[in-house]
Amino acid sequence: MSGSSALFTLPNKFDILEIIQVHEIGNDAFTTRGEIPRVCRGVFLFHFPKWGAGVNQFNKRHETIISAGIDIGTSTTKLIISRFSLMNVAGTTHVPRIEIVDKEILYKSPVFRTPLLDASTIDTQGVERIIRSQYAEAGVTPSQIETGAVIITGETATKRNASEMLHHLSHEAGDFLVATAGPDLEGIIAAKGSGAYDYSAKSGKVIANIDIGGGTANMAVYKDKKLLGTCTMHIGGRLIEFENGIVRSISPPIERLLAEQGWRLQIGDRADSSAVQQVTDFMAGSLGRILSKNVTSEDQVLLLGHAPSWLDDVEAVVFSGGVSECMYQHELGQVQVAAYDDIGNQLAAALRQNGRLQTFEWMEPVETVRATVLGAGTQTTEISGATIQVAPHELPLKNIPIYQHDFMFDLQQGLDLFDSAITEAIALYDSTREGQNFALYISNLPYMGFRDIQSLSQAIIRLMEKRPDPSQPIILIIQSDHAKVIGQTLVAMNVQQSVICVDQINVETGDYIDIGKALDSGVVPVVVKTLTFHTS
Amino acid sequence: MNEQLIEQITKMVVEKLQETKGKAENRKSDEAMPVNLFADAPVGQALATEHPDAGPAGAVTFHRTTEHKQPAVPSKVASTGTCHKQDGNKQSDAKETELAELRKKTPARVGVGRAGSRPKTKTWLQFRLDHAAAVDAVYGEVPDELLERLELFQVHSKVADKEEYIRRPDLGRRLSDESKQTVMEKCKKGPTVQIVASNGLSAKAIEENLEDVYLSLEQSLRNLNIDMGTTFYVDKGRVALMDEIGEMLQPDVVVMLIGERPGLVSAESLSAYLCYQPRIGTIEADRMVISNIHKGGIPPVEAGAYLGTVIQKVLKYEASGVSLVNKEG
Repeated sequence: MSGSSALFTLPNKFDILEIIQVHEIGNDAFTTRGEIPRVCRGVFLFHFPKWGAGVNQFNKRHETIISAGIDIGTSTTKLIISRFSLMNVAGTTHVPRIEIVDKEILYKSPVFRTPLLDASTIDTQGVERIIRSQYAEAGVTPSQIETGAVIITGETATKRNASEMLHHLSHEAGDFLVATAGPDLEGIIAAKGSGAYDYSAKSGKVIANIDIGGGTANMAVYKDKKLLGTCTMHIGGRLIEFENGIVRSISPPIERLLAEQGWRLQIGDRADSSAVQQVTDFMAGSLGRILSKNVTSEDQVLLLGHAPSWLDDVEAVVFSGGVSECMYQHELGQVQVAAYDDIGNQLAAALRQNGRLQTFEWMEPVETVRATVLGAGTQTTEISGATIQVAPHELPLKNIPIYQHDFMFDLQQGLDLFDSAITEAIALYDSTREGQNFALYISNLPYMGFRDIQSLSQAIIRLMEKRPDPSQPIILIIQSDHAKVIGQTLVAMNVQQSVICVDQINVETGDYIDIGKALDSGVVPVVVKTLTFHTS
Repeated sequence: MNEQLIEQITKMVVEKLQETKGKAENRKSDEAMPVNLFADAPVGQALATEHPDAGPAGAVTFHRTTEHKQPAVPSKVASTGTCHKQDGNKQSDAKETELAELRKKTPARVGVGRAGSRPKTKTWLQFRLDHAAAVDAVYGEVPDELLERLELFQVHSKVADKEEYIRRPDLGRRLSDESKQTVMEKCKKGPTVQIVASNGLSAKAIEENLEDVYLSLEQSLRNLNIDMGTTFYVDKGRVALMDEIGEMLQPDVVVMLIGERPGLVSAESLSAYLCYQPRIGTIEADRMVISNIHKGGIPPVEAGAYLGTVIQKVLKYEASGVSLVNKEG
């Protein structure tokens, strides 16, 4: 814009003035190929009043949705409300591409102690009370929440009523709130909330995010925003709890560790006994070994689930979660509802002192204890492609399992294997033939002409009749930009069922998908997740 | 020199270059894109086509644009000059991975290496090939067989030949007198949507994409219950030709599917220009366009499906281009 800025006088009736994009059609070297369309050339300026929708210019309409993130962890529960701005980021002459262009945090709750009825039951009403009071504080109602996720993390996920409560909450706390759980997903979401995910792209380094909460340490390793692997360990602040300077509880994995190592620690021992120090030092050492994939047999006791699944050497580490708060004190001076009386602080100190961990580069997280909730509230929603075909009355759809059929860039071969794929999908998700619907994910389609689309659509109609309940909507997720044409072709072929056909979402067999209501810009918000509940 | 000889010599030169580099170069690793952005096939009046393996940007690929009497020797030259070296040097490997990442992000010629201050021979040859493909696209013709298959009749603009087409855009915006008559005789008057196809600056764009865009658009309009006129093809037309057609047939919307000026990335990009009630004197701001329709851009089938919804919107607001945006609010 150099040289031309003098042409504009900036209006002062708006709180924020932002230049979103200086767009000259035809200079878009990467995307506009061939003839330069002579529509108009110009500079688009956007003014955003602080709390209102943007002032629109041309097709750069600006839509906002409210998202909630709720994290119910081993020791703490927190909530976050944010607002996403959606905009068409494609050039004026292109097919629209709607993306989330801005995320604004409207409200961060204090950190609450997770209410429990007893050691194995979560106090659902207590959690609901916290959420209701925080919604009131933030000035939102559940009906305003258009997307987001409630995630149940760490040891809490192993409680008796975890699954039940999660689904109850996702229903009560918002119009389209997604229930998520699973140790790998926790690590992934925390890495996005802590900033490790973004650092990985900026630095080009292999970065491990280690989210250490009350019960578990969830690791996710990223390089250039690509997930390389995950790992979960029994390392956390609340694995040994104190009361009045006396050990009040020791969790089962730690009992096993003590037995294996021959250290003596019992309920009633003093909090400053040497065994506590030995345990935290061992945890730090073990974490260091896991990060460098040097897993020894003595580390097995702390491992939850699979061994580290990344192949690259980790170069940098980011610590997030409650224990990282003990290291960085981001929340100092803020309202603290929860008080801890456990090994959290000692563990933080042990991690800082561990020699092997010091060999990695340490990066400070943008969020400590709130990394997961921030990730859940702002990083779980994806936006579908803009050219899709959906039956509005069928949405939102929740907890739809995915079955992937890979065409491997060969239409005929893909069609030949289609029959057996659908049979397998039905066997996998609806073995008792009760009418559990699934979403078919069609990936790696070759370049397709119109007649290819027709033969694919015919096959889809024919095979969807094989489902135990053929009247259910046909849910298709297409990897490439073909949703609209496939959807329209199905309609043109007088398909009996409703059709929900979206594209440009990456999923795989075993994932679950939630598809929200269509937004004004024609796209749908989508949350992809896994619902595995682990037991320890 | 005849083309055959030129090709043979170039091939020999590149093969020689290849031999000195060692034969065991690994070329599979870095580019596995499902869609090849670079022309794999010749543009224009191709007689026979050879499909060499796709290499990274800058790798040279050969196509035959003339008929060969002898069976072709399988081309060994599609290997890459920028690929992994066999010496197992880890650092250069990492660098190469990084460059391959960058190359994947854009069809532009980045990270292709250089020889002194000049591009490498292969890069240079690829550049020449792409340039030639662009030229061929402009001078090529749309095969009659395609028009017959889609049941389109052909008319002409006032332009006599390609040279005049390029020099006199104004003549490309008017139908010849004879063509006007044909259109008036054959076309349905006052349809809701009139579709017109034209080669414009790339016959290859029409050849590659017209069928898929057209069939998909036709289906989309049928689904939406929008009435369609008699589609026809104009040889050597320009976008603003739609004004005259609007004047003659009085449709509510004209959709012009026209080949874009070819570039060095794609010579077969198609654009769909739309206008609500175009008439002589319609201003450019009232036109709108969906550009970049080709196999490396918007898939033609999806573009056709999307066009249907755009037309529906244009009809709803009775406006197109900037006026549509203003009315939409």
